[in-house]
Amino acid sequence: MHAPREQTYLSATVDIRSWLLTTDHKRIALLYFAGITFFFFIGGIAATLIRFELITPGPTLGSPDFYNRLFTMHGIIMVWFFLIPSIPTTMGNFILPMMIGARDLAFPRLNLASWYLYMSGGLITIAALLLGGLDTGWTFYEPYSTFYATGYVILAVFGIFVAGFSSILTGLNFIVTVHKLRAPGMTWYRLPVFVWSTYATSIILVLATPVLAMTLLMLLAERVLHVGIFSPQLGGDPILFQHMFWFYSHPAVYIMILPSMGVISEVVPVFSSKPLFGYYFVVWCSIAIAAIGFLVWGHHMFVAGQSLYASLAFSFLSYLVAVPSAIKVFNWIATMHEGWIRFDAPMLYAFGFIGLFTIGGLTGLMLAALAVDVHVTDTYFVVAHFHYIMVGGAVMGFFAGLHYWWPKISGRLYPDYWARFAAILAFFGFNLTFFPQFILGYLGMPRRYQSYPPEFQIWHVLSSAGASILAVGYALPIFYFAWSILRGPRASANPWGATGLEWTTRSPPPPENFAKTPTVVRPPYQYDRGKPCMQAGDVR
Amino acid sequence: MSDRALGFQYGTLAQQRETATLGMWAFLATEVLFFGALIAAYLNYRIWFGQEFIAAASLTKVVLGTANTAVLLTSSACMAMAVTTFDAGSKRAPVLWLSATGLLGLVFIVIKATEWWLEYQEHLVPALNFDLARHGGVAEIFFVFYFCATGLHALHLLIGISLVTWLAVRIGSGRLQPGGSTTRLIGLYWHFVDIVWIFLFPLIYLAGRNA
Amino acid sequence: MSVATIWRCWLALMLLLAATTASAFAPLGSLNIVISLGIACAKALIVLLFFMELRASRALVRAFAAAGFFWLLIMIVLTGADYWHRTDAKAPIDQIY
Repeated sequence: MHAPREQTYLSATVDIRSWLLTTDHKRIALLYFAGITFFFFIGGIAATLIRFELITPGPTLGSPDFYNRLFTMHGIIMVWFFLIPSIPTTMGNFILPMMIGARDLAFPRLNLASWYLYMSGGLITIAALLLGGLDTGWTFYEPYSTFYATGYVILAVFGIFVAGFSSILTGLNFIVTVHKLRAPGMTWYRLPVFVWSTYATSIILVLATPVLAMTLLMLLAERVLHVGIFSPQLGGDPILFQHMFWFYSHPAVYIMILPSMGVISEVVPVFSSKPLFGYYFVVWCSIAIAAIGFLVWGHHMFVAGQSLYASLAFSFLSYLVAVPSAIKVFNWIATMHEGWIRFDAPMLYAFGFIGLFTIGGLTGLMLAALAVDVHVTDTYFVVAHFHYIMVGGAVMGFFAGLHYWWPKISGRLYPDYWARFAAILAFFGFNLTFFPQFILGYLGMPRRYQSYPPEFQIWHVLSSAGASILAVGYALPIFYFAWSILRGPRASANPWGATGLEWTTRSPPPPENFAKTPTVVRPPYQYDRGKPCMQAGDVR
Repeated sequence: MSDRALGFQYGTLAQQRETATLGMWAFLATEVLFFGALIAAYLNYRIWFGQEFIAAASLTKVVLGTANTAVLLTSSACMAMAVTTFDAGSKRAPVLWLSATGLLGLVFIVIKATEWWLEYQEHLVPALNFDLARHGGVAEIFFVFYFCATGLHALHLLIGISLVTWLAVRIGSGRLQPGGSTTRLIGLYWHFVDIVWIFLFPLIYLAGRNA
Repeated sequence: MSVATIWRCWLALMLLLAATTASAFAPLGSLNIVISLGIACAKALIVLLFFMELRASRALVRAFAAAGFFWLLIMIVLTGADYWHRTDAKAPIDQIY
């Protein structure tokens, strides 16, 4: 190993205590990365088993009860232990302080506490699953989850409750950091869009998650005490639970997508060698999505029994929330227009994001129409819609960011052709998995059903075939990233020729990020149109 | 002046203080949503159930509740006095005021415990001995809210009492000097617990009093 | 925060407490909850502005303080929209037969 003149955040201290008791945001980011990779793997196993089960119309792997436990496990793990933390806790933690020119987050010890809360919550939930799981679905609708479900509801819910505090504290940390720790000259309108997106995400984390905490607490009270707060036995209203649950869980999906959008807003200008088109629109649309996203939760309850007037209001507001997302898509495309496009892996993932998110978003508008929703609610149409957003959108964005910032984080380059191949494979696998599900839903196949009429089988087989391709596309990065750590060429400070403060410091960064606090004098994304602004390997 | 430590991510002490203040207010915002969710559920049920829900509230002990509200409001005044006298440089005065704050907090807990004991005697505790035949299911739901809300509030109050006690010891032993934000931040937390009670009080105790 | 201000606030809070408890016993129908919540808001504002020093704080701090309450209002209003308008009336499509 060569001996650098300066220490990097990786080499400064190497014993296990320095990792488990670190307050360095970069190390905490890697701790989170280990966690979310682990949970992604578990959720992925559940997905594999689900798709395997659905190959035949009748039971393939086990009983209907086993299937119910599978999709419940898949939903809980993927939503709360992978998607919600994914980008904010890894790339947010690592890159955001560097982007604003700070040395760390505002509250580094709180950051470490957040990680421990996340891992504790995750392990509690895994325990619930290992003990036999639960079959309520990730939505825990009452009174089934409290009075009728067998399984480890209390344990799983408690695990989520604990992990929720991790979300809240992380969001709090980011908000305060962005307000108070920006470097001199880093005004709000000079911030990269990733910072704005993470800020918007943090608003949701801070304001929505406590409602989930209370909702889960009331669910636990009902299950433990056998007193039906939300159940009809005493006169309670199950819809009230749904209101409280979705007040959090709809903004939660914006927690999942906003950071990805932020990543795309970083990647597209670099690989188009053009400034981001419509910076002000893009940043304010992030805030708008976060704000309006709090007003639409009732669209999950159109057929649940809420009043028609409420449904009308929520339908209208759901149409409204699509507007800022669409504005962002137009701005990304306008950024690419007459740019000098480089088709590196991050950009391929960005392309995938833009196309798939658009499809997911448009189908969301279809679902927001009351009359259409009555027909396709609780069918595979909904399943396909949210997977297009969450997997085609959020996960693609995650991989885009991972490939973009990998050289900065690890100090190594990965083999570009394998990365591009994985991106393309994942794109095709994804579409083969989830497009047939739109058709399935339209034809009437309900979600969360293990058995189905034989005429649906062809679509399920296509979907499962796609899933196997998608799995390969997701597995490949493990191999070439591992290779890059062991044998990859060392990365310079700025291998992509990007602007942004994180690229001014060495790869991997020193523990304090910057030798001297930088002063910012210009807006972000100052690229020369049509010309590559830097050669890879240049260091300033 | 104080020689308190400056975190390496901060440029000045003032920046560190302002950041801590923002952090505490952000945390309080999360608590508003946390308790607020419970209150929102309560309000929705109040709209939907109507009279039956409101009538259940008349079973609570308004005299004890009012006394408790007075206790907590006074404790907030004491906390404010502690902050002001500490800022002015005194050491004994803030310790006395903090002790008063904590003491009043304990008085609140004692009165609350008395109320709960009385409710237990009157068969009003859901899942334990609620008299469903006499009061009805809607009343039981009301009392679930009552115990959840007052229980969570009491938990937050106990945390506040611990913080106030810790603070009193720190100031009294001279280990905490003016110029930082610790006292103020604990004060913010205490006042917030008071505000939660300010809203819980009318919702729990003052409904259905003029049937 | 002067000592005088603190105790003036305390006095105001005590008076408001007396008022809210007393008004609860007056038969004012649906006005009762309006008054009691209104007084609660007044008490909360006194605590927020004076004890928690929001009157002397920067706009950013006030925005943080207001955010939680504003978002709570959203939740209450929009869920209320459902509960205010629950009826036993049938949906149009169920009225055909």
